[in-house]
Amino acid sequence: MKNLTVSVCLSMLLATTASAQNYIVNVHGMVCELCSLGVAKNIRKLSFVDAAEYDDGVKVDIQNQMVFVAVRDDASLDRQALFGAIEDGGYSPVDIWRVTDSGERLELQ
Amino acid sequence: MDRLLIMLLLGISCKAALAHQPVVDMAPRWNGGYGFQTRVEHANSDTITWLEGVYTFKPAVRMTLKIPFTDDGLGSSIFAMPLKRYKNAAQYTSNWGLTPSVRVPTGGGSDWDGGLSLSYSAESVDVYQLYDLHVLGDRRGLDINVGTVHSDGRGSAWFTLWDITAVDSDSGQRVLTGPVLVYFKRNIAARLEYKLAAYDRDDEWSGNYLSFTLGIVY
Repeated sequence: MKNLTVSVCLSMLLATTASAQNYIVNVHGMVCELCSLGVAKNIRKLSFVDAAEYDDGVKVDIQNQMVFVAVRDDASLDRQALFGAIEDGGYSPVDIWRVTDSGERLELQ
Repeated sequence: MDRLLIMLLLGISCKAALAHQPVVDMAPRWNGGYGFQTRVEHANSDTITWLEGVYTFKPAVRMTLKIPFTDDGLGSSIFAMPLKRYKNAAQYTSNWGLTPSVRVPTGGGSDWDGGLSLSYSAESVDVYQLYDLHVLGDRRGLDINVGTVHSDGRGSAWFTLWDITAVDSDSGQRVLTGPVLVYFKRNIAARLEYKLAAYDRDDEWSGNYLSFTLGIVY
């Protein structure tokens, strides 16, 4: 519960500072930053990622096993491609949320 | 494919630290990832410099090459193919590994040796553990690394581990144990280990073991 609260607060903070569409993916197993370099590397290759946000469009949070992804305003999220990039990085994406302008997290089905 | 050829030409490293695989046993675990590391080992009044490389076809299939250099020149290289089965859970990741290997007489001679390793590794945000049971030629061994992880959340972390290495060979038996420090920042990793000879009935072994590894992954 503590981790979830921290994650929600963090996502709200991030949502207020970013202009792109922001998404959060819960990734099982992603507990080491060295081992998860490939996750960020693969996501950055996706055409819809907004490199102007976060760290070239991606932020990895191993404490909560979350990946923050910024999507360009003129592009659409390709969920299958995003999950594929994470799996190719060696980990298991589980859930994805969109962060609204008000900071609310909406889970995508 | 070009990366693979370059890696093979550059070569890789490992003798006393037989069970460990580049880079620092952990990376890269992503498709198409590759890396290099240099390991300098000092034991038995000898120093061996290993050049090691790894290419990850996909998380379950890697290829590693370890090439040793001594005062006498090039030694026997070890080619291995770590096969891993990962389990990713909410708070940790773990894997079982099966690693067939072959020691090639690149330093002269004609003796080829086959090897096999069975390993289990698990890691959470705070704890790391590795158990590796291995055989190569006349050597059989068990390597255990267990300890804590201290991540700063900004791309770097310290691992403070304890290593226990038990080896049985035609020349006798030995057990070495001691601390290991692993540090990484972004894609660069370093490992320092010092092991005491807690038990030494090995005719070809004398004293303690020191090694330093510096690696990089892409």
